[in-house]
Amino acid sequence: MTDFTTGAGVPRNTTSTELVAASLKRRRRKQSRLQWIGLGAISVAFLMLFILVSSLISTGWQAFTQTHVTLEVYVDPEEIPVDRLPRGGFDDALAASLGKMVPGVDMSDRKTARAVESILSNGAQFSLRDMVVADPDLIGQTITMKVPVSDPYDQLNKGLIERETPEENRRVKNNEIAWFDALVAQGAISKPFNLALFKNADSRFPEQAGLKGALVGSFWALLTCFLIAFPLGIGSAIYLEEFAPKNKLSDFIEVNINNLAAVPSVVFGLLALAVFIGWFGLPRSAPFVGGLTLALMTMPTIIIATRAALKAVPPSIREAALGLGASRQQVVFQHVLPLAMPGVLTGTIIGLAQALGETAPLLLIGMNAFITSAASSPFDSATALPTQIFIWADSPERGFVSRTSAAILVLLGFLVIMNAIAIYLRQKFERKW
Amino acid sequence: MNDMRQFERDVKMTNTKITARSVNVHYGDTHAIKDVDVDIADKTVTAFIGPSGCGKSTFLRCLNRMNDTIDICRVTGLINLDGKDINHKSVDPVQLRAQVGMVFQKPNPFPKSIYDNIAYGPRIHGLARSKADLDVIVEKSLRRGAIWEEVKDRLDQPGTGLSGGQQQRLCIARAVATEPEVLLMDEPCSALDPIATAQVEELIDELRQEYSVVIVTHSMQQAARVSQKTAFFHLGHLVEFNDTDQIFTNPQDSRTESYITGKIG
Ligand SMILES: Nc1ncnc2c1ncn2[C@@H]1O[C@H](COP(=O)(O)OP(=O)(O)OP(=O)(O)O)[C@@H](O)[C@H]1O
Ligand SMILES: [Mg+2]
Repeated sequence: MTDFTTGAGVPRNTTSTELVAASLKRRRRKQSRLQWIGLGAISVAFLMLFILVSSLISTGWQAFTQTHVTLEVYVDPEEIPVDRLPRGGFDDALAASLGKMVPGVDMSDRKTARAVESILSNGAQFSLRDMVVADPDLIGQTITMKVPVSDPYDQLNKGLIERETPEENRRVKNNEIAWFDALVAQGAISKPFNLALFKNADSRFPEQAGLKGALVGSFWALLTCFLIAFPLGIGSAIYLEEFAPKNKLSDFIEVNINNLAAVPSVVFGLLALAVFIGWFGLPRSAPFVGGLTLALMTMPTIIIATRAALKAVPPSIREAALGLGASRQQVVFQHVLPLAMPGVLTGTIIGLAQALGETAPLLLIGMNAFITSAASSPFDSATALPTQIFIWADSPERGFVSRTSAAILVLLGFLVIMNAIAIYLRQKFERKW
Repeated sequence: MNDMRQFERDVKMTNTKITARSVNVHYGDTHAIKDVDVDIADKTVTAFIGPSGCGKSTFLRCLNRMNDTIDICRVTGLINLDGKDINHKSVDPVQLRAQVGMVFQKPNPFPKSIYDNIAYGPRIHGLARSKADLDVIVEKSLRRGAIWEEVKDRLDQPGTGLSGGQQQRLCIARAVATEPEVLLMDEPCSALDPIATAQVEELIDELRQEYSVVIVTHSMQQAARVSQKTAFFHLGHLVEFNDTDQIFTNPQDSRTESYITGKIG
């Protein structure tokens, strides 16, 4: 009887307080181990994120500036007669003024003249043309213009083309470097913020290519997506959660909606190609069709998020309202839905953020076309941000490498903003019950 | 409209308000209420007593069809309110619940302002013609719920910010604001201090002048104080239903006797 409890290594006269203290030590060890593992996991995740973002920034930051050259252009009435506008030798006018700034070149030699002219972006002549057409009084005057240089010289200025490379492997030859250095010496070269990245649509020339077409296309597509997926998604979720009889059919629908959320997006693209473009004859490459496709993908996300938010509203609130004689519709719209709104909005924005980054279905419906102007309606052809990234990533010109990274940064920026809005809305509307 | 109601009430002065016959309730396979017959009189306070889990709340919820909202719950038998079957197809549960108000076992204020909590019922039923009307109803209801003095300066603050006992009184005020003919109260005083309890009991006594009140309580003293009729439930059966003084002084069933003397429960 006396040594009945000895054994198992526990001293006989141990009090329960001491037992608790011993187990406490063990529990603390377990907890600290768990904390370290969690901390490690977070660190690895952060490291990955850091590597991703820093590699994007290191290649992409150069695209946010663009080398420009400042020119004194004489708008020669001989070359640009007022009665032939908008035609005229705008390129020759630019070349002539550039020729005066570059020492030791013979501009009467066509080959040299063309080489000098290629310092300027191909789009420079169009800027000049637009200025002159807008104000024909400029003919005969000398105007100061700041025009972008072409991609090779931009690369040279940003140090992406190295002077140490042997001449035969270099896109910019020694004499051309000398011309450029002369321009630099005259203070004609500047490197301002690359407004064209946001003001221009796509172009074959990297120095003129911008994201406006893609931004506008994504805007129209997301607007269409939101206007369709939000009401339909919330409506279906409310019906399924609050009104539908619980039977085999509603179970079947529920399983299918959950499956729909997991269907690869390329399948939605094929579906849209067959149905929207094939049967309904909607235009190819149109953001409206893109929006419809993205709505198909976003709707399950919204339905699932809304149902979860509706379910999370405590049943006591419903009982309280029902007990006062509120109808089911009043209970849903006056009590349950307002309380579920933060969850609904968060789910919607996360769904839209997914849609913004979605590429595959847009490729299938032709939103990767080469389009040099921004869409003015959802039915015009357009690209979207992710498809624009896809196009640029596929382009051989060096200038598109940094522009691809820059476009990805812009896309990530929008995603961060959308998620920040989701968090803000959640905190603003969150209430306790 | 109001006069009509008044008139009807006068005619049925001593009539039974609610008649229940062979009511059975199942939650899935659980048989929670077994063959209960009861007559609840108008202008009377009826107390339901019995050990925990015996089905008091379940039976109470049958009287305003709150059990409809529980999927697995099945109610059979006949329940008449003013001689009309409340489970009949033609009866709208929404209208029934406006007539038969309820205070729940757990306080459940809306996460809205105190004012809106009270005003909600009158608003949806169109009981107030103007904002001034509504203000009057809100003040009167809060006074009846014995909480006016505590909240009159913060009517725009959330009802969920009140203490548990205050929330329960808010819920009582909310229930009386819709002027129901029958008020079902599920342990309304379990979270209240003796002073608030006394105030609620006073309210119940006042409501008895016009309405029929059914109260579930675990306190024998409370049942004895406020009720004229008492029903004792045990394991889903209605064991004994009689005048309150009869139940407490001269119980007919041995189970009732052991319960009120504290031997089972
Ligand atoms: N929603 C529900 N689902 C399943 N069973 C339930 C449900 N509500 C109650 N029951 C069961 O019905 C029986 C009666 O419960 P009820 O809530 O009516 O008891 P009660 O008398 O009110 O008890 P208490 O005094 O503790 O509130 C219990 O056995 C309980 O388990
Ligand atoms: Mg109960």
